[in-house]
Amino acid sequence: MMADKRESGRVKEVQATRVLDEAARRRRQRKALEALEQDNFSEDPHADLKMSKKAPKFEEVMDTSSGPGPKRKKKTKGDFKLRYRKNFAALLEEEHMMNREGPSYTSSCAPRSKLPERRFCAVCGFPSNYTCVQCGTRYCCVRCLGTHKDTRCLKWTA
Amino acid sequence: MTTLIVDNGAGTAKAGFSTDPEPRIIPNCVTKAKNVRTRIFIGDQIDECKDLSSLYYLLPFQRGFLVNWEIEKQVWDRLFSKDVLQVDFNETRLILTEPFFNFPSIGEAINEVIFEEFQFHALHRTQAPTLTCYKHQKDKETSGSMFGTLVIDSGYSFSHIVPFYKNKPVKEAIVRVNVGGKVLTNHLKEVISYRQLMVMDETYVINQMKEDVCYVSTQFNKDMEIARKKYPENTISRDYILPDYTHIKRGYVRTQEESSKKSKGDEQMIRMNNERFAVPELLFQPADVGIPEMGISESIIHSLSLVDEELSPHLLNNTVLTGGNALLPGFQDRLQSDVRSMASDDFDVSVSMPGNPITFPWQAGCDLAADPSFPSLCVTRQEYEEHGHTICSNKFNV
Repeated sequence: MMADKRESGRVKEVQATRVLDEAARRRRQRKALEALEQDNFSEDPHADLKMSKKAPKFEEVMDTSSGPGPKRKKKTKGDFKLRYRKNFAALLEEEHMMNREGPSYTSSCAPRSKLPERRFCAVCGFPSNYTCVQCGTRYCCVRCLGTHKDTRCLKWTA
Repeated sequence: MTTLIVDNGAGTAKAGFSTDPEPRIIPNCVTKAKNVRTRIFIGDQIDECKDLSSLYYLLPFQRGFLVNWEIEKQVWDRLFSKDVLQVDFNETRLILTEPFFNFPSIGEAINEVIFEEFQFHALHRTQAPTLTCYKHQKDKETSGSMFGTLVIDSGYSFSHIVPFYKNKPVKEAIVRVNVGGKVLTNHLKEVISYRQLMVMDETYVINQMKEDVCYVSTQFNKDMEIARKKYPENTISRDYILPDYTHIKRGYVRTQEESSKKSKGDEQMIRMNNERFAVPELLFQPADVGIPEMGISESIIHSLSLVDEELSPHLLNNTVLTGGNALLPGFQDRLQSDVRSMASDDFDVSVSMPGNPITFPWQAGCDLAADPSFPSLCVTRQEYEEHGHTICSNKFNV
């Protein structure tokens, strides 16, 4: 009993608090940046619907493997889709592979800013002076820290 | 023979014949409405939709590049059809814009779709800033030599700083900042959803709110101080009433006097305070949200460091702004004062903005279509059929 009581409350607390490591913080940051490029937040609201079959889709010509109908000029069209339906990452990869000289998409990107970094409270948006010990998010006052801990901090980390 | 100009932006396509006074501005996307389950809306058809809440977007562009042809084909089919532009492909030349450093495979896809699917008579591929430079020079021609032009094009996906020597882009000095209207709207959505009201699905509504109340601050730190204060010292805070699409068809700003009172009805409201200027600020300091890039002003100076020393004073004195973000109040003033403070004292700085920065490149296309040299810039379908993509990549400066 005595031994238990003498244990430092502060040490215990520190041990109990989880601190996100650098990798996890970077992962969070990357996710936040990806979210800024998202087209939609929710899934397709019509995903459960079957669209009218009458309207031919652009990709349809490609779909020649099934169906007994006569083979339409599938070669060129099939080629078309194979060559041109690439997502952005694939296009970028392709450009890297070609390794051409001279200015390119990659070289034209603005470099890192030379200006000092500014910090804003994640809760209220005003300039912040403090960093959350656990996750590294910025906050400006005790009230905002409270909100942050209650809502974001480690809430969504597995 | 007619000439059609399509400034094919990732957000909106600006399209019309060279003889039209104004282009049509149509959303370059296919939209699905949560509450309209019987149909989809292709391009401008969204005007027929009464309830613009919770729209779902299918976009042909990814990070500013045309990757989803299935969507783009639907939008173009509609655009060229008898319902909109009534294009007679055999008798029409097309001026089509694309981003700088467009990927070669996308360029080939464009050639193929334009010549083989639609069968246009001829095609000229270019970039919106190149068109802008052309018109800007032409309009100013009487007033002296146009050695260099600097075009700042801040659109939906990104912002480009493009220096021109006479009429040619200086490719080594083009700088791209990966912040555009889409990032601003998404960031605003995120911030409002966390601080006030869940609006993550309301891209359309929040984008409209951004256009209605956001501005570029020319005194950022001071504005932050003002935003901390309470009414009536706080001259920044605005209450924005959201549309419900039954009684309120469109969102609107409530006047400051009304804002101080309690809300009357059951309308939904968002209080925009530091968000009004902190969100557009990302154009000038992307690092505020962790995008490791220079903002537009800093990028201009960076770009100038990459051009011939003798060219930069001309560029500084002859800077043009285009793209939807240029319409943010304060955008022009901010750039002018930022560049003034960063550039050498010896040079004059002049940042100008055309009357309509969104349609200016399209208008420029109209002028180009009337230029006697224009036919020589085009590749005809016949030439394409004979020489394939080679002739296109030789002729178009992309």
